[in-house]
Amino acid sequence: MLQTGTGSGLPPGVKVSEALELVRRLYAHPASLTNTVAQAGISSLLGCRTNALSGGEAQRVRFALAIAGDPELVFLDEPTVAMDVEGRRTFWRMMRQFGEEGRTILFATHHLEEADQIADRVIVINHGRVVADGPGATLKAAVTARHLRFVITNPDPDRYDRLEGVTDVRISGTGVTLISLDADATARDLVKSGVDFKDLEVTGACLEDAFVALTERTRCREDDGPG
Amino acid sequence: MSALLSFARFEVVRLLRSWKFLAITVGFPVVFYMLFLGERGSGQVIDGTVPWRVYLMVSMCTFGALVAALNAGGSRLATERSTGWARQLRITPMPAWAYVMTKVTASMLVVLPVLALVELVGLTFGDVRLGIGQWFALTALLWVTALPFAVLGVFVGFMVNAETAYPVVTALMFVLGYFGGLFNPVSQMPQALQSAAKVLPTFHHALLALEFLSGQTLGGINWLILVGYTAVLGLALLWKYRVEEARGLA
Repeated sequence: MLQTGTGSGLPPGVKVSEALELVRRLYAHPASLTNTVAQAGISSLLGCRTNALSGGEAQRVRFALAIAGDPELVFLDEPTVAMDVEGRRTFWRMMRQFGEEGRTILFATHHLEEADQIADRVIVINHGRVVADGPGATLKAAVTARHLRFVITNPDPDRYDRLEGVTDVRISGTGVTLISLDADATARDLVKSGVDFKDLEVTGACLEDAFVALTERTRCREDDGPG
Repeated sequence: MSALLSFARFEVVRLLRSWKFLAITVGFPVVFYMLFLGERGSGQVIDGTVPWRVYLMVSMCTFGALVAALNAGGSRLATERSTGWARQLRITPMPAWAYVMTKVTASMLVVLPVLALVELVGLTFGDVRLGIGQWFALTALLWVTALPFAVLGVFVGFMVNAETAYPVVTALMFVLGYFGGLFNPVSQMPQALQSAAKVLPTFHHALLALEFLSGQTLGGINWLILVGYTAVLGLALLWKYRVEEARGLA
């Protein structure tokens, strides 16, 4: 298990190699030391004191400790929270390799693109209830919402709101994004309405939209339901 | 068993490396003893049995054992737990009792040099003269009977967090020290405080050693109370560990 808390999760006053050695000894059949060190990418950290590590380094060491016992199932609770972009990429590359050896990795995250890119199966939980369960692509497909982006000199939000299928309007400068449940109808309506748009672009929803749609749908259902 | 030994060795190495912690923990009771030595004359005889200088050394040994156990178990453990390391250990196959036992043992190990140093001060500055066998027997007795303090320390470490550890440990140190008669003979206290002292482990810890040094038979009731404290605190510790385990915390 790998958790992110306030502390480092590592014992103060020892070298990384000593902490790893201890945890390995606590298991009857630990993974090979070389494998663990390589998988977690900590060979350069072995001689460091645990209190001298950066956030990303400490997370890698914690990961090494989590896999030292050669587990078949690994839980990661928001593993990349304290990492920069580079660290995050390296981390997920390591995870992929680790998973390809036939292990299961279960992780919780608020970075939805992370779930989309990494996970084979995504489960969306809203207020303690499972609202969707499947591969990221299926989840996204379930959401019919599309994005219509165009550029216009003087955006007029009230006007776009009334277009067919539009559920949300986002305006930044001269850029307008319409979120629509029926992109074709909205596009036709947009042309008919005589709006002087440029650079129209229609794209599918991202997992974040799917997430919002899924969680909102359940909220509505809860509100409508009896008692 | 090999897991227990590995963890015990790991803990001891870590302990020996934290020399700042050790210096403060060992140094504090010694300095305290020196201050008391400077203040009082040594001619007085306490309760008609032991000279003041012997009484003082034994009291300071008890105080030192208490301080060491509370620091090692209480403050150190609370800080360590706040980092999440204890939680990391809990998901390994190491049994719960091995963790708790190692912590208690580590505390006991810190108590030993404190006793030795306070006794050394007793021998050099405190004017305490004992036979070599008596010194060893006294040390062994004081050490073995410090077990309830060690368990108390670990229990405190489990109950408080890193921020509250310091005030709680300090309060316990002085409450148990003062009301246990370590800074002032219990017989010179008001009646109400005297009866309060008699339920505190510090009082009985010092009393056993004094009984030994004055050649009396060691009081069964003193042993009983110390064993009672160890058992009750030990059970409380186990309970606390179980509750945390059930909640998935550490």
